[in-house]
Amino acid sequence: MQKPPLLSRRDLLKVGSGMGFGCLLPAGMTSASTLQTQAHVVILGGGASGIAMASRLTRRLRGGKITLVEPRETHHYQPGWTMVASGVWNAGKTMRPNADFMPRGVNWVRENAVSVDADNKRIGLASGSTIEYDFLIVATGIQLNYGLIDGMSPELIGQHGIGSVYASIEGASRTNQTIESWLASGQGKGIFTAAPTPVKCAGAPLKMTFTTLSRLEESSRRERFAVEYMAPGTDLFSQPWVDEFVKQRFDEQGVKRRHHYRLSAIDPQAKQAEFAFVGPESEFTSHHELREAEFKRDNLQTVITDYDFIHVVPPMSAHDFIKNSALVAQDGPFRGEWLDVDIHTMQHNRYPDVFGIGDVIGAPINKTAASVKAQAPVVEENLLSVMQGNLPSARHTGYTSCPMITGIGKAMLVEFGYADDFAFMPSFPFIDPKDESWVTWVMKDRMLQPAYYAVLEGQA
Amino acid sequence: MTISGIFTILMYALAPFTWLLVVGSIVVISLHLLAYLRGYQITQHRSRYATILAILIGLSAVAWVPWLTHSTLANVATLFDWVALTAGIVAIFIISLVILHPLSYLISLLREG
Repeated sequence: MQKPPLLSRRDLLKVGSGMGFGCLLPAGMTSASTLQTQAHVVILGGGASGIAMASRLTRRLRGGKITLVEPRETHHYQPGWTMVASGVWNAGKTMRPNADFMPRGVNWVRENAVSVDADNKRIGLASGSTIEYDFLIVATGIQLNYGLIDGMSPELIGQHGIGSVYASIEGASRTNQTIESWLASGQGKGIFTAAPTPVKCAGAPLKMTFTTLSRLEESSRRERFAVEYMAPGTDLFSQPWVDEFVKQRFDEQGVKRRHHYRLSAIDPQAKQAEFAFVGPESEFTSHHELREAEFKRDNLQTVITDYDFIHVVPPMSAHDFIKNSALVAQDGPFRGEWLDVDIHTMQHNRYPDVFGIGDVIGAPINKTAASVKAQAPVVEENLLSVMQGNLPSARHTGYTSCPMITGIGKAMLVEFGYADDFAFMPSFPFIDPKDESWVTWVMKDRMLQPAYYAVLEGQA
Repeated sequence: MTISGIFTILMYALAPFTWLLVVGSIVVISLHLLAYLRGYQITQHRSRYATILAILIGLSAVAWVPWLTHSTLANVATLFDWVALTAGIVAIFIISLVILHPLSYLISLLREG
């Protein structure tokens, strides 16, 4: 039997920070108050949200039990996948063992959850066993519905000119290889798509377009490549100023924009894509629910076009077992597809013992790692309030952030929230969110991954 | 953001460069120790060549620091970009001088002796 290491990387960091700064701080700044409890808190999902919550609750709860349900052994730094798919990073840079971040004392169940019985406070696991909870944090992330595009599956990524940054780290690597092959061919048409649903990292389809344009321009044969962007709605990005900026920049860089089209089918062998016209009278926007019935309508106008490279962005939703549970939104724009939470308190709208965090929640924006950073302290405070019989008082502003890569080597630090039509919420007075900047690129390239890992540790 | 959080981020950011920091520290400490044992005093020794070379290395950072970050000088655009790059140039000048200054003393000893 393998002996556990005396000191893990996590312990070393704690020792280091303790030695460096602990003696400088008054006691009140080094630890938040703890709560004595016998409650069983179950966290569904071990991505950024789940592990961040496990880290925070481990420090705040005494006597209770924390269970985290997550089958994956490897933690993926998904914000780095656009860098991999753009040929800037190696895939290995984005992966670490989940065990590096799992807090001591957390009961890690390495299985898939398959059902939630919210009325009886019970989780069903793939093995057939069940877990009962007193409080539940749903942090299951997002489901990629490639199957809603006829003829498309994640296995096709890297073949027949198909790329997709979202599917997996392997998919991101194969997307980079596919773009390289297209560039090497010296000509042809590239189509970049967007999804008619909320998506994680809503800037990623735009970033992939911009970084590919950088590579095309660098090849000094730009004029031999046609680039089109197919958007299901009028907008390309939810933040209005950035939306206008991207549209203008696309026009300047020779990207042909077509609005109100969604990718409905793909024929990999023929390298043809079918797009359904969905607007403007039946416009899909990021606020509309995804409905399979609407995807199967027969009376939609369609166009079929050839491509040499296509970047596929799949429709997304909460996982099926969440959609099939009572926890899913029953009405409103997220009906049937996303977790039903108060977007400010993060508490479930009908089950007060349930909280949601991260990509799974029904919210107009907020499917980024930066959102998790902002949401985690709110969920922590409000869960502890509810455990003590109080109402949740902490509120999430909707803060989210997107280092909008506008070319390889430059980016804009776009930070915004719910208020005032997604007004900017800049963190740094010396970085203008409207400026393309090398420093912002350096942050994306060097600093945001360390900051992400600090979020996992509940330190940021 | 807590101080502990800032420290955690710095630890993760510096982790890939641990080997470089260790090797660099060994080189700097060894050079200073060796020179000190042979009479080197940082305030007494003057070396125009070490200073000029350190300035040149610092200025050369304009070209290769953006490259190290997968970017180019053309993308250094905002005022804060230039402030950050200038800070990098100054830091590289100081590091170069910290290495070259005792090294120039040791070389001058070799020449004399």
